[in-house]
Amino acid sequence: MASPSVPRWLLGSLALQNLGRRKARTSLLVLAVAISGAIAFAGVVMMRSIEASITVGFSRLGADLMVVAQDALANITAALLVVEPTDQTLDANLLAQARIAGIGRAASQRIFRSEQSGFGGHAESVDLIGFDPERDFTIQPWISERLNRPMQPGDAILGAARDLPLGSEIALYGRPFRVYAKLGRTGVGTHERGVFMATSSLLALAPGIRERTGQTPPMLEPDKVSGFLIELAPGATELQARFALLSHLSGIKAVSAGSLLTGIRQGLTALLGGVLALVSMMFASTAVMVSVLFSAIVAERRNEIGLLKAIGARRAQIVGLLLIEAIGVTSAGGAIGVALGALLLRLFEHSLVYYLTQMGIPFLWLDRTNMVFIAAACVFGAALIGAVGALAPAWRVSRQDAYDLIRGEG
Amino acid sequence: MLSCRGVGRTYQTDRGPVDAVRRIDLEAPDGRFVAVIGRSGSGKSTLMAMIGGLIRPTIGSILIDGVDIWALDDNAMARFRNRRIGYVFQFASLLPTLRAIDNVALPALLDRRHAAAEAYDRAAQLLADVELGTHLDAYPSEMSAGEQRRAVIARALINDPILLLADEPTSDLDEQTEREIMALFLSVNRERGTTLMLVTHNLALASEAEQVVQIADGAIVP
Repeated sequence: MASPSVPRWLLGSLALQNLGRRKARTSLLVLAVAISGAIAFAGVVMMRSIEASITVGFSRLGADLMVVAQDALANITAALLVVEPTDQTLDANLLAQARIAGIGRAASQRIFRSEQSGFGGHAESVDLIGFDPERDFTIQPWISERLNRPMQPGDAILGAARDLPLGSEIALYGRPFRVYAKLGRTGVGTHERGVFMATSSLLALAPGIRERTGQTPPMLEPDKVSGFLIELAPGATELQARFALLSHLSGIKAVSAGSLLTGIRQGLTALLGGVLALVSMMFASTAVMVSVLFSAIVAERRNEIGLLKAIGARRAQIVGLLLIEAIGVTSAGGAIGVALGALLLRLFEHSLVYYLTQMGIPFLWLDRTNMVFIAAACVFGAALIGAVGALAPAWRVSRQDAYDLIRGEG
Repeated sequence: MLSCRGVGRTYQTDRGPVDAVRRIDLEAPDGRFVAVIGRSGSGKSTLMAMIGGLIRPTIGSILIDGVDIWALDDNAMARFRNRRIGYVFQFASLLPTLRAIDNVALPALLDRRHAAAEAYDRAAQLLADVELGTHLDAYPSEMSAGEQRRAVIARALINDPILLLADEPTSDLDEQTEREIMALFLSVNRERGTTLMLVTHNLALASEAEQVVQIADGAIVP
């Protein structure tokens, strides 16, 4: 007599074989879960990536507060954080005169957006950002590569999205500039495609701009700035500094990066919450579908389950067998869904993200660890759907008498 | 020792309660061959299912080897069915996705008292005993009705039960195969000393039993 081959997991393989008996139904169930999984994975990764892009971008700016003209708040907050220039300006010596307590460092910035600089493509919108290299603490920390010498007048620093070599020459309004340095990816809007230079260099462009546009932009007046980025003194709180600023200065608004971030994050959180709610509802409906399907599967296999009970299968084993089937099929669906979701993300990358990048809005993908975590969560969620969906029918059938099951009653 | 004391089963139907089995008292000592005969719908199979722990009596108690089986909880009842009772149904009752040897080994694997290799060795021996030694890897669809029935008998014996219940096990078989299967049952009863309770319409088969119980309208005919 030949020695019999012994399968390692007979009940587990029995469950998987049962799935193989109805290939079309199993495939449809896998597909349904895969679609849910793909939407969940791609949706959550996209939302988290958007959130991360903005969060990282903001945090890298390094300022605790921003002082801007009161009327220009909306624009200038965007201007200084996501670079949306504004015509509203402040006096350049505003903070120096006021001597506000709680302020450690204050760096002025002038931001001028132009379509006629002659730099980049035809009529390309370019943000020209002037800063004081001696006082700046938000731009230079992001230099990723530079020429091996100190910054000089006539030097320009390019955003990460500008693909020009160090030392090359560019022309702005006919004036030559040397590419002195390039910034790393900040994730902050048009900063990525901005051209940064010393204030004196930006102001030197005023005649050329006036010549082409017929006027001098207000932020290029020597005594005007677009706003100030402020770093708090050690021990000072944001609230104290804002209170001091608002009580000493009129016509300004003090915007904290934190509150801005909070506002945007709240918006994103609401959006993310919506996405998560949608994903949860989708998961719930999939669980209901799995439950209905497994009720049908159980009804179809009553005889077989009754037989298993008759030969001594315990209730836990019956429930376990059905749960293994359900978890197996939905986990497979979840894994396929993650793969589909990854494909969806690739599509996003080649369409929406590419478009955003072209617009000067860089997109920072979530890091690999978090993506793997979300993928694992999606597969786990899919497995959970299978378990939750099959539990009730499995539990019900496990309670029935074997004889009723075999005879198809009850 | 099998002992049924006032065992009855009532089904609730839309037209009111129906007594399938009415307060049956039955005793069978260990190793006995008991034939249960009666017309279709007389309650034979329901009685057998109650003795086999497959359906709960609405009244009375059943003792097997001194154990009041319906006083056991779910798990203990499952264990009792698994270890002490072998059941052969009137239909082909092998799991279609498993090989013959998997089907036979399954009750032993569910019990987990023995290692899988041990269960499979025993299953192979039992299949050889019922002349299916060359069909270990065959799937039910690859076996004849008689072979399937012999495999079911091998499965019923895998855990050395003290009680073997067979509910019209040859009703769908030809005469020759029926004789072979009955010979197998008798050898199990005589050589292993397993108590055999057989539900049958075949009076010739019943005549070989040591005890014949005739049931009509849910009650034993005196």
